[in-house]
Formats: sequence, C-alpha cells, structure tokens
Amino acid sequence: MPSVKPQKISSTDTSLLVEERVRTEKTWNVLVWNDPVTPMKVVEVIFKKIFGYSNNKCTQLMLQVHHEGKSIVWSGARDRAESYCVKLQVAGLIATIEQV
Amino acid sequence: MASRLFVRRRDGRIEVKINAVGRAILKEAFVNVLKAEQDPSHQWHVSLNGPIDPSQDADNPLAMFSRQNEISTNAELAGVTVEDNFLNDAEGWAWLTTLQVALRSTVQSYGILDDEKWASAAAEVRGYVENLQQLLFELADVL
Repeated sequence: MPSVKPQKISSTDTSLLVEERVRTEKTWNVLVWNDPVTPMKVVEVIFKKIFGYSNNKCTQLMLQVHHEGKSIVWSGARDRAESYCVKLQVAGLIATIEQV
Repeated sequence: MASRLFVRRRDGRIEVKINAVGRAILKEAFVNVLKAEQDPSHQWHVSLNGPIDPSQDADNPLAMFSRQNEISTNAELAGVTVEDNFLNDAEGWAWLTTLQVALRSTVQSYGILDDEKWASAAAEVRGYVENLQQLLFELADVL
C-alpha cells in the first residue's frame, strides 16, 4: 500500500479556499395577493409553515396583504422564488413572482 | 360556549370533532380538488393553474408539474383521512391546504374577486363559503 503524504497548506495561502464569485443574478420577489374570503389566521399559518417567519412577521405580512392588496413575502434567486411561489399556490394562496 | 371543531391533544394529535354534515362538506371539497386537478373541464381547474410568473407566456413546466403533484397529494391524503377522529400534523396540513384551495376555487368560479362581489353573492354560496371559512379558521388555530 503506497504511503500518502499529506500536502501542507500554508496558513497564508488562501487563494484555493476563497471562492470569488461575480453576482450577476437579479433579484426576484414573491408576491402574495389579497382575496376577499381567506381567513387572516390561515394566511399567517401558511407563512409560518412555508417560510418559518416569527409570529410578528407573519402578522405584519398578512396585514400588508389585507390592507395594501399585496405583499412581498420573500426576495432572492429566481429558482427559490419559483419554488416558494408554488408552495404558496399549493397552500391555496394567490401568489406570483416578479423580477425586481 | 360553542364546542370547537378541532382540538390539539396533549399527545400532539389533532382531535376532529365534526359531525356527519361537516364531514360531508369536507369530503365534497377534497374530492372536487382532486377531480379539478385531473380534469381540465372541471370549473375549478383554471383556479388551480394560475400563473407563477405573469410576465411570461408560459411557466416553467417543472414548476407546474410540482404544483399539480403537491395539490393532488394533499387532496388524496385529506380524502383518505376524512373520516378519522385524530390527525397528525402532516394530515392537518393536507386538510388545511386542500380546504383553502377549495375555498379559493369556489369564490373564483363564482367571480367573487372583491368585497363588493362577496357582499352581493347568493345566500347559498355565502353559506357554503362561510362553512369552509369556519373549518379553515378553527383548523389553522391548532396548527
């Protein structure tokens, strides 16, 4: 069995460890739209289950949907925005995505 | 004081205290969601296929398939547990999401898209919608 000598890496040599990335992706918003019949409590529970937000944040977002007609509930990369939008739609809310 | 329809027990289960009339409403809603997902001619089908990105002519087929699959799975689980007296959290979530889909599809199929339309909706429709709202509200309270 050949012996394998561990390769020494200098503590100052960080060029291999640091990933340099140029971020070119644009941000996408997930929007939830108001409807006249969904109970407020249900909207809060769905936000908590899908995003794991605090009770206060869920209430704030729900009230924004109720009073302003819509709310941005999440922002970030497109693929994640699409996944969250699908989860909200599966839960019966009116949700869409938009590019910022 | 009116008794509650859902009660969270100490062992974590959700007790369902709904009579035969309520179970029939639930069953009808669960069956209709499953049918609507599979049948393009069902009056609820359109509401289950809303746009994900309205700026595009067509949405990502994988996302659409994922949505269809998850809605059907939730409706199937809700359907097979509709007579149960105790639910776990996953079953409770399946009931909540399927009921919410049924509620939104009902109002969308009757064109109830704002408060004015809701106020002028037929009494029968309002009664059905209020039943679904009560079930949803009480279920959300224990989830």
